[in-house]
Amino acid sequence: MKIIIASSFTPFAQGGATVIVDSLADAIRAQGHRVEVLALPFHPQPEALLEQMLSFRLIDLSQHGDQLIALRPPSYLLRHPNKVVWFIHHHRGAYDLWGTRYQDIPNSPEGLRIRDSIIHADNVALREAKRLYCNSQVMADRLRRFNGLEAEVLYPPLAQPERYYQDGQGDYILCVSRLVHHKRQWLAIDALRHTQTPVRLVLVGQPDPEGDSYARQLAAMSQEGGLGGRVRITSNWIPESEKVELFAQCLAVIYMPVDEDSYGYPTLEALQAGKPVITCSDSGGTRELIVDGETGLVTAPDPEAIAQAMDRLYQDRAGAARMGEAGRQRIAELGIGWDKVLRSLLA
Amino acid sequence: MRIAVVNNCVPFVSGGAEHLAEALTAKLIEHGHSALLVRIPFRWEPPGKIIESMLACRLLQLPYVDRVVGLKFPAYYIPHPNKVLWLLHQFRQAYDLCGTPFQSLSDTDDGRRIREAVVHADNTLLAQARKIFTNSGVTSQRLKKFNGLDSHVLYPPLSRWEHFFCAGYGDFIFYPSRITASKRQHLVVEAMKYVKTAVRLVVAGQAEDPADLERLYRIIQENRLSDRVQVIPRFITEEEKTELFSRALACAYIPYDEDSYGYVTMESYYSRKPVITCSDSGGTDVLVKDGQTGRVVPPRPETIAIALDELFTDRGAARRMGEAGLDLVGQLSITWDHVIGNLTA
Amino acid sequence: MKIAWFTPFDQKSAIGRCSERIVAELSRHALVELWHPEGDRARETTVRTIRFRADTADTDRLASYDLIVYNFGNHLAFHRDIFLVSRRWPGLCILHDFVMHHFFAGYYLEELHDPQAYLEAIRRVYGESGRRRAEDGIAGRRARVWETEEVAEYPLFEDTLKGVYGVVVHSNFFLDRVRKVYSGPSCKLWLPYESLPAGPNGTRQNLEVPDDAVLLVTVGQVNPNKQVNRVIEALAGLRPVSGKWIYAVLGAYERNYGDLILAEVRRLGLQGVVRMPGHVPDKVLQAYLTHADICVNLRWPATEGASASAIEEMLHGKPVVVSDTGFYSELPDDCVVKIRPGQETQELPETLRRLMSDADWRRQLGDRAREFTGRHCRADLYADGLIEFAREVRHDKPMIQLADRVGGELNLMGATASMEILDTVSRECIGLFGED
Repeated sequence: MKIIIASSFTPFAQGGATVIVDSLADAIRAQGHRVEVLALPFHPQPEALLEQMLSFRLIDLSQHGDQLIALRPPSYLLRHPNKVVWFIHHHRGAYDLWGTRYQDIPNSPEGLRIRDSIIHADNVALREAKRLYCNSQVMADRLRRFNGLEAEVLYPPLAQPERYYQDGQGDYILCVSRLVHHKRQWLAIDALRHTQTPVRLVLVGQPDPEGDSYARQLAAMSQEGGLGGRVRITSNWIPESEKVELFAQCLAVIYMPVDEDSYGYPTLEALQAGKPVITCSDSGGTRELIVDGETGLVTAPDPEAIAQAMDRLYQDRAGAARMGEAGRQRIAELGIGWDKVLRSLLA
Repeated sequence: MRIAVVNNCVPFVSGGAEHLAEALTAKLIEHGHSALLVRIPFRWEPPGKIIESMLACRLLQLPYVDRVVGLKFPAYYIPHPNKVLWLLHQFRQAYDLCGTPFQSLSDTDDGRRIREAVVHADNTLLAQARKIFTNSGVTSQRLKKFNGLDSHVLYPPLSRWEHFFCAGYGDFIFYPSRITASKRQHLVVEAMKYVKTAVRLVVAGQAEDPADLERLYRIIQENRLSDRVQVIPRFITEEEKTELFSRALACAYIPYDEDSYGYVTMESYYSRKPVITCSDSGGTDVLVKDGQTGRVVPPRPETIAIALDELFTDRGAARRMGEAGLDLVGQLSITWDHVIGNLTA
Repeated sequence: MKIAWFTPFDQKSAIGRCSERIVAELSRHALVELWHPEGDRARETTVRTIRFRADTADTDRLASYDLIVYNFGNHLAFHRDIFLVSRRWPGLCILHDFVMHHFFAGYYLEELHDPQAYLEAIRRVYGESGRRRAEDGIAGRRARVWETEEVAEYPLFEDTLKGVYGVVVHSNFFLDRVRKVYSGPSCKLWLPYESLPAGPNGTRQNLEVPDDAVLLVTVGQVNPNKQVNRVIEALAGLRPVSGKWIYAVLGAYERNYGDLILAEVRRLGLQGVVRMPGHVPDKVLQAYLTHADICVNLRWPATEGASASAIEEMLHGKPVVVSDTGFYSELPDDCVVKIRPGQETQELPETLRRLMSDADWRRQLGDRAREFTGRHCRADLYADGLIEFAREVRHDKPMIQLADRVGGELNLMGATASMEILDTVSRECIGLFGED
């Protein structure tokens, strides 16, 4: 079959978003199909949204390929007689972030019109799909609530899950994630201050290309007295092998973003490496994988509660190992893997 | 600099321009820039889709890009204040292919209006580029003639030049290229009817239209050439291609009126093999100089046959011309340093 | 909401006078800043004013407003800078005049010295036949379009609508015309005005109008379309039977035309009773309006979008004789007396005779006129209507901006109106983004 994978990207803005596209393409090719990856440029700025959406709509792929799989918005606006959407996220400013401080569309008659137009366009385009999948229960709930659509949850696997392994339990808790405020590495550092055990924290991630003030803030926090060098921050790019090793040897992983759409790769990486995950009750999609006491610990988003979780894992290594193993099983239970993805998308 | 190389694309179709775009992107990165390739689908059937594709490109945005290198219509219309063009193609259907057997835009009012829109858009929007380069003298001349715009020629270098080599001068002429009417493989196959020496022919490439392939087979069958002419009717791998080039006597490349000399010509010279081309092949005349770096003959099977025979009988000349061709490539600065220096200045 | 209000604000500008009232009311709903051309001898107002010139204006400031409102009129000197700024910063436009031909003729021919641009503007809207007519005019083969009645066939208001976010007009006939060529938001509001009392010195005596004479008044710039000559003829015909009357024509006039009228007055022996003092100060005008018994407000053709003078006269409670055309047709039949255009010679004498002899009828008409305009032609209602319309305009703005963006790109491509791309884009936008 000839399959087109269509997605959007913002050239030279934060990456990470192309991983799912590339790994999906590899997986489909491995099954013997021909794949064309179309990554169209898109700048999610409210004033320019409508014209770019119109642009995507004018790009006619209906005569090409046996199937179109659309991922990031607004690629699902592309027309194709056999369109399958693997929904990754909305333009959140028009949806669940409308009415919050993260709303990026102005609260004016013009803004309301833009918002209505985005929602209308999404409703039209998503209904053209032969099948609709999404990457988490959080996303499925939002699609039902805002767009009146039922989507099947299809969890995105890691690019190469077989690379992850377990290699003992060190004395550090690992957080691998972009250095941006809503990933809350600052809360982890804060929590460390309240721990009783000598557990350490290793933060790995690249700062936002827009500005690295948060990264510098973290660095400053880590130097503060009382922490005695127990926080190590690596803010440059590291090779895959090094990252995988850090996962393999950590005691546990901590990943507690604010209200994330889906579980996030760090959560899945941790489980794949057989490690428990500390996450927060307000972290959103991480809780689709992390069940408190089973595959990790879910705490309130305050430093003391998180510190307790950290100490608990440090003191109960057997328990940590048990949870790590349960995490591996959870992946299998949920069927998170490329064969399931391909079975669903290419049906 | 953060550079976006912008090209059009037709899903599942990949040819010389696509390879060049990828090679350019890779070379830009090698030279220390941040570069990536943006490909925008282009549809031209039915003709109304041409304007839609143009408009779609105009409505896209590239905010974090420092420089755009635009290669083909209509992707080169993508708006950006710091754009450089390396024109591989305007939309030839609106220009020189009008009135030829290759015209596809009809002579209706609609077709005419669309042609005018393309010309108007090229006139206005190409002029906004910071600098215009093209891939050949022919492309530059057309740009000047039809749009009144000046440009410099930057010959496209070969991206995998170091993989080609010479392993002697064998007994076959090699023609690797997509099998289409405009590449005219059928002319060389027909020429084999008239050759007097034992020279052979190897044609390799994917046929877009099965009829073109059928035609070759018919000529071979009707003239009982199956022991002299081999057709490999598919994409051949890079390894297969370099291997065949290394052993070939010479290369035949006789497209109809192409803008540029084509990769095949360069690949032949990097393998130190002369090129046989035709007087109406267009841009091959930049590199293929009759008697010096190859043979330029009228586009008839009989004349092509004579050139094939001559090369077969004088291997020394073949070698001499092959080496001279490689020298000419260097003299014309067909190198990546030269290209990237100009595109990023 | 923060609004930039562009208007002529000179003491002599009627639109300026309207703006003064409207802006005061608008300030109840929004923060308003009034931009007026530098050269104006400006009126008083409590809102912040900004003097500007098109070429030096700090128009980057305009990005800070939620809405920009432009008042357009046919007078080039008053509106030129406003128009030029509006081309760069689209906003909502209030079209006061239906005929904008004089404005554009002046702009293209006298300011830009570009007759081709003038002809192209006409061709764009009225086609090749319009272009030929205009060309005959400027070449001297025929009268210039704007100096004849034909100007109403080539009003050129259409040229003000390019890229605007919304249009306000003051009559339904104009609204219909706008909607034929403009698909964005548009609405009609009653033009607000008010009657000012005469000052203590504004007595009939000081005006030298005897108490027993019927005072007829026509106000405003004395242009041929006001048909002052027809009124004078009709009055002359009534002379033996009508008793005493005075007819005051109050407004500036162009020399040649004025001489023509005055010659006619002399020929008919009406020097003592027909007055044409030219432009008079506001106080004098108010005095005349206060004491007028009959207002005559004919137009053929009608060039305004609405008649401020008629509204003012009606607010004063006066019976007004109007032409049954344009805005005037929309006034209730029991408030004004309508003359059919082209029938002035037949209908004016009898109408004037009846009005001059029937004080009761005059009072009835005047009372109803005052009541009607008092109910509708109010600045506070105008402001309310405008704010509500502004919300609609702002709601439509993203779509209009998108259409403009696409239009701009298609222009760059030289794509013509007949190409299917326009339909395609329109269809896609509606399908994708919904209609309102």
